[in-house]
Amino acid sequence: MIVSLVLLLVVLVVLDIRFGSVRITLVDMVRHLAGSDTLSEQQLIILKKFRLPRLAAALLVGAALPVCGLQMQTLFRNPLAGPYVLGISSGASFGAAIVVLGAGATGLVATWSLAVAAWLGAGMVMILLLFVSFRIKDVMTILILGIMFSSGLTAIISIMQYFSQATALKSFVIWSMGSLGNVTGSQLLIMACAILPLLAGTLGYAKVLNGLMLGEEYAVTMGIRIQRMRIIIFATTSILAGTITAFCGPIGFIGIAVPHIARFLFGKSDHRILLPATILTGMVVLVLSDIVSQLPGTERVLPINAVTSLIGIPVVIWLVIMNRKAQSI
Amino acid sequence: MPEDLSDHMITLKHLAIGYGKEQALLRDVNLSARPGEMVALIGRNGTGKSTLLKSIIGLIPILDGTCFLEGIPLETYDLRQRARIVSYVSSQVSHLPAISVRELVSLGRMPHTGWMGRHGEQDRQLVELALEEVQMKPLMDRKLDKLSDGERQRTMIARALVQDTPLMVLDEPTAFLDIPNKYELIRILTGFRETGKTIIYSTHDLETALMCADKLWVIHQGRVLEGAPEDLGISGVFDALFAESGIMFDAEDHRFKYGVTSKGTIRLSGEGDLALKWTGSALERLGFDTGSHSGEISIVVQSSETGNRWIVTGKGGEYSFENIYRMAQYLIRDD
Repeated sequence: MIVSLVLLLVVLVVLDIRFGSVRITLVDMVRHLAGSDTLSEQQLIILKKFRLPRLAAALLVGAALPVCGLQMQTLFRNPLAGPYVLGISSGASFGAAIVVLGAGATGLVATWSLAVAAWLGAGMVMILLLFVSFRIKDVMTILILGIMFSSGLTAIISIMQYFSQATALKSFVIWSMGSLGNVTGSQLLIMACAILPLLAGTLGYAKVLNGLMLGEEYAVTMGIRIQRMRIIIFATTSILAGTITAFCGPIGFIGIAVPHIARFLFGKSDHRILLPATILTGMVVLVLSDIVSQLPGTERVLPINAVTSLIGIPVVIWLVIMNRKAQSI
Repeated sequence: MPEDLSDHMITLKHLAIGYGKEQALLRDVNLSARPGEMVALIGRNGTGKSTLLKSIIGLIPILDGTCFLEGIPLETYDLRQRARIVSYVSSQVSHLPAISVRELVSLGRMPHTGWMGRHGEQDRQLVELALEEVQMKPLMDRKLDKLSDGERQRTMIARALVQDTPLMVLDEPTAFLDIPNKYELIRILTGFRETGKTIIYSTHDLETALMCADKLWVIHQGRVLEGAPEDLGISGVFDALFAESGIMFDAEDHRFKYGVTSKGTIRLSGEGDLALKWTGSALERLGFDTGSHSGEISIVVQSSETGNRWIVTGKGGEYSFENIYRMAQYLIRDD
């Protein structure tokens, strides 16, 4: 399974680079790397400035968002948990809305302030949920509260939109559709710096995630420091989801759906396998979504958020209908 | 004989437990259990059985007093050390992950493995042994959601077993089980004693506890009494325990009986040991005393190759019945 997924990913990556308004084939790229001048100046610029950063963003998002979802699903022991459902993405959107709509920030200042604001927004919702989860043991209640936080923040964002300037509104609306293509080189660096170490860290506590599958009482009696673990998972998730939402906008249903696709494909619940499997599956799904959003053969580009939602929603529907399975992740 | 704390697997001294100091469920609890002992914790619903078990393994903070494990206060251990001394089987059976029996049992090795949780030869052997011990080896690749209640409970016990702790605490392990599964589970638990493991389990089921436990901890009216089942039987605490409910504990038969007021005495005689025995218990259920000499009504059980017949004399006539059900309807009929 791993080998075929890796092969699929490689094929998709090549296709992703190829499609777009200007065609850049693998053969040309290989020849160029070998020293011959097969790529034109224009093609090189497109490759370096647009295609490769977009691809890198797709890989980072595809690796990180599903890991958020998987950790939430394990911690809450609920298959419907994910950064979207729990309101973490809305928190990040709220932070971004304050920067874009409230302060009207643009340019380099915006890059950093957007990231920080999205982190803070995601972190705010996470701390709220953390606080709630210390007091309320019922997972369904926590999920419903997450949905309520999320709806509340969305309401506040729409009020802010209503009162904002036309130009700020337009850039916010475009941001909220999600885009992998608007990520600049320096933003990519920030994303990579935030995401890669956290993903490595998550792999490091895969064993503990296994212990959490049986619930908190069992986790504690098996020697897991549950409070500390919760804080680590909440912090990791808000930084991962916050970073992605800040630079790429909200990207729906990847966090919740991909872990289930990975479970289905690999048939494993052991996080030492499931985590890397989820990362790999997520990258495949995101690069595929990116290719679809380019609408190969046309000049048009679809918002990535819409594409991932259309891929993720059937998975979630399948989950809800197969409710017996959904009771146990 | 002088008491030495380190002789005991667990010692509770002046323990107060509950959720918050003002509402302590139990106060001044003094109990102990030795290595290799099986202790049954008995008490009615809501008396604090689960709370007591969760407190002595550190899931709920102790309000007052000390719980010593192997002579050392519970709070002295860090979580990982504690996980190597005491394992736990929760009363909650819902919401388990859809993993295989073997995967779940392997999780029990967690306190003994490194940060990646890699299993060595010894870990694998312990998992195999535990699966054999609870007779789940043939089902080890089955997913948890495909198991019966009994199989699932045995799997959870195997998980606690591979944790390889001298003390195992189980919260109502037999609660959801039918009678064969219940006895099977108790048999498995009693088997652990031979390895020197101390087993503490809570239950409503006084009958099996009397059969197998070395010691009972009985919660009654806010106090916890301990002793051999027979000591407590002599003390009369079992009668008191269920006095309000109209159920009586028959010390001679080791079983519960409904405390129905007698409707009179029936003379019972006849052939066939089995048929007589069941007729006797039917009469007891209906509220009649049985005697062999006195009584205004008499029942004679006749056994033949075609089956049994019950001849009832008295109550204004003689009637013959082909089964106990019919006979019972006649006996309790209002005249």
